[in-house]
Amino acid sequence: MKRLKAFWLSTEMRRKMKFQREADPLWAQKIAERPGCEGLFSCLQCGTCSGTCPLSIYMDFAPRRIIALVREGFKEDALSCQTIWLCASCYSCAVHCPRQIHITDVMYSLKREAIQEKLYPRHFPIPVLAQEFYKMVRRKGRSSEFWLVLRMAFRTNPMQLLGMAGTGWQLMRTGRLRLRQDRIEKVKELQSELAGREVG
Amino acid sequence: MRIGVYICHCGTNIAGTIDVQALASYCGSLPEVAVAREYKYMCSDPGQELIRQDIRDHKLDRIVVAACSPHLHEKTFRHAVAEAGLNPYFFHMVNLREHDSWVHVDKLAALEKAMDLVRAAVRRVKWHVPLERREVAIHSEVLVVGGGIAGIDAALTLASAGKHVYLVEREPTIGGHMAQFDKTFPTLDCAACILTPKMTAVKGHKNITLWTYSEVQQVEGYVGNYEVKVRRKPRYVIEDLCVGCMECIQACVFKQGKTSDAFNLGLSKRKPIYIPFPQAVPPVVVIDREACIEFKSGKCKKTCVEVCAERNAIDFKQQEHIESIRVGAIILATGFDVFDVSRIPYYGYGLYPNVYTSLEIERLVNASGPTGGEVVLRDGRKPATVGIAHCIGSRDTHTNRYCSRVCCMYSLKLAHLIKEKTGAEVYNFYIDVRAPGKAFEEFYNHVAEEGVNFIRGKLADVYPEGNGGGRLILQAEDTLLGMIRKIPVDMLVLSAGLEPRADSNEVRRLFNIGCSADGFFLERHPKLAPVSTFADGIYIAGCCQGPKDIPDTVAQSGAAAAQALALIDAGVVELEPNTAYVLAEACSGCKTCIPLCPYSAIAFLEEKKARINEVLCKGCGTCVAACPSGSIRQNLFEDQEIYEEIEGILA
Repeated sequence: MKRLKAFWLSTEMRRKMKFQREADPLWAQKIAERPGCEGLFSCLQCGTCSGTCPLSIYMDFAPRRIIALVREGFKEDALSCQTIWLCASCYSCAVHCPRQIHITDVMYSLKREAIQEKLYPRHFPIPVLAQEFYKMVRRKGRSSEFWLVLRMAFRTNPMQLLGMAGTGWQLMRTGRLRLRQDRIEKVKELQSELAGREVG
Repeated sequence: MRIGVYICHCGTNIAGTIDVQALASYCGSLPEVAVAREYKYMCSDPGQELIRQDIRDHKLDRIVVAACSPHLHEKTFRHAVAEAGLNPYFFHMVNLREHDSWVHVDKLAALEKAMDLVRAAVRRVKWHVPLERREVAIHSEVLVVGGGIAGIDAALTLASAGKHVYLVEREPTIGGHMAQFDKTFPTLDCAACILTPKMTAVKGHKNITLWTYSEVQQVEGYVGNYEVKVRRKPRYVIEDLCVGCMECIQACVFKQGKTSDAFNLGLSKRKPIYIPFPQAVPPVVVIDREACIEFKSGKCKKTCVEVCAERNAIDFKQQEHIESIRVGAIILATGFDVFDVSRIPYYGYGLYPNVYTSLEIERLVNASGPTGGEVVLRDGRKPATVGIAHCIGSRDTHTNRYCSRVCCMYSLKLAHLIKEKTGAEVYNFYIDVRAPGKAFEEFYNHVAEEGVNFIRGKLADVYPEGNGGGRLILQAEDTLLGMIRKIPVDMLVLSAGLEPRADSNEVRRLFNIGCSADGFFLERHPKLAPVSTFADGIYIAGCCQGPKDIPDTVAQSGAAAAQALALIDAGVVELEPNTAYVLAEACSGCKTCIPLCPYSAIAFLEEKKARINEVLCKGCGTCVAACPSGSIRQNLFEDQEIYEEIEGILA
């Protein structure tokens, strides 16, 4: 949690003003047409989602503000924030929302969109992990924790590996972490199956 | 036959979509159409004059007007036609606006549809026969159902106009919810001080028959002639003998009350013999059968009877009985239920003792309430911090979608009263503060200046403080700060919304009126007939029509009383002639129609034929369609008229 807080503090300063040319109302319309995002424009901005969210206290924009940003079409802010990656899919917001907006689904839509548009925070572990995981599964058909953690750490904050080394060694010694990477037999079939369905 | 066709532009409502010139020239080419015109507003005086002039100049004998919905202007045009000397039923109206221009975007297709609709009307109207409206006499008595402020006010208005009113109230006293309130927003005048004079006026008025502890059981008849049966529940105390000295309550063998007091929402206990509150009207005690020992075992010392020996008002053998009355009009003022906050479990009502509903707080701050006006928690402590959560059960698709309209203002009032009585820090959790009434915004400003805190965010979660001190943590997003707030409070007040009465569906069936989607009684027109219903002679007032505050309720009850007065003062009512009738020679006496009639208008005669009471018939056509021998027909909907209309559309 300390680390999350450090990330939060390290985000660059944002200008607290919006020009209307920065807004993309068509994009807002497009998101609202996605499955699960239908209720977007009925949002009351009551803040129940943020109030019940167990992670909102660490988010740069609480869920309510994400909805507001999307509605107004401020695509870059909505896609480059950490909030959508902090969402743990607990569905508390969706359960409590007085307009029954499927906020978790909105978060998923935005995550896909952020990877597609390459607007996700570059050194934030969660989107990096998601991408690395996908790449690995696509290449081998299976994931390997050792390589996954390694890749994620290299792309986000390689220095943290030093701190993890001791634990890593212990895990490897007891056979909990393996260097060898498994692969399934018909990787090519899996790849052709996944082809054309990728967002990133 | 010489038919006149008139196409209305309705400004751009119709002409914006339909080429009215093309339509008029098409209509002119139809057989037997003598005149076809279009005009900007047919309903305007010059528009009507156009019709009247043409009837005279061109000797027209049938009129078709293609304009808006017949609901709006059928009467207008029938009247205009009659003024020109024609039978008003030699007229037919085509709904070009709602059925065509408002619902289509393809202009060419809309024009084609308009041609079809007008052609059908032209073919139908030829077959119209002259009809007469009937008049029936009206009873001058009025029934008012519900003795809250709406019913009280309507009853008093009608009674002072010299009409006899029957005021029926389900509870043992009149007063309704208003009697439970302490102060009223925004002026903070005491609710009892302004209500009780009206309650006593009801009791004393010679034109009002007050039946409390009574319910309407059956309603039959029609506008001007309703036959109503009222069930009078036994209160086991003879109303005429009891003077309200309340010595029986003192004398009751129960030294302490053991039954939850509904008037105080269970915050206090009452005895089996009780009076709901000191200023109750009528000031007559009631015996609660469920709690009274005499009813349970028959072995009570009956100290209440002893102490009442002189008047002998207590009668354990009282039975319920039915009163039958005839009234000309009915005003429904059945009020609302408070939203049951336990339906939203995460606010912890019933789980945490220090979570209250707003109505409970009304009783706590009230000087005649369970604590004598002290705002204290259930353990007797005075709260130092209080949270008030707005919009509980309102503006929420899980419960009620609508805004309950009064909660913002009563929450501000309670915030003020709590702060005044306890000096507590008060936090209001709101989505929007809706203060649009007269002097409401000023009151909001006044409360804010007093130092009441306003947090813009709906209360999201409630949980007990970890240290076991009994305080509750209120969690919400302060949307204006963009921060999550966690505020420990001693007391949480849930500002519950207003709901239709739990039995409003049965009541609306009883009186044959409708409900809107939210369950409140449906008015005839949301703007222009807000107190009328689709049942003639039945009016609605107060919160049974939708949530509203006291000033709006009183305004509405006055309006309902005026409507009822306008109806009964006329002495007679005109009935539409579009009723069904039986061709006696063709009727086989199968009785199929009788149970189908929603208005019980069909009788079975001795000669084994059905007969329809024209006064009761509303012209719904159910029996006409159901009759296996085709012996029931309906005025204005004769077979030939309908066939011609269908053929006209399909031609």
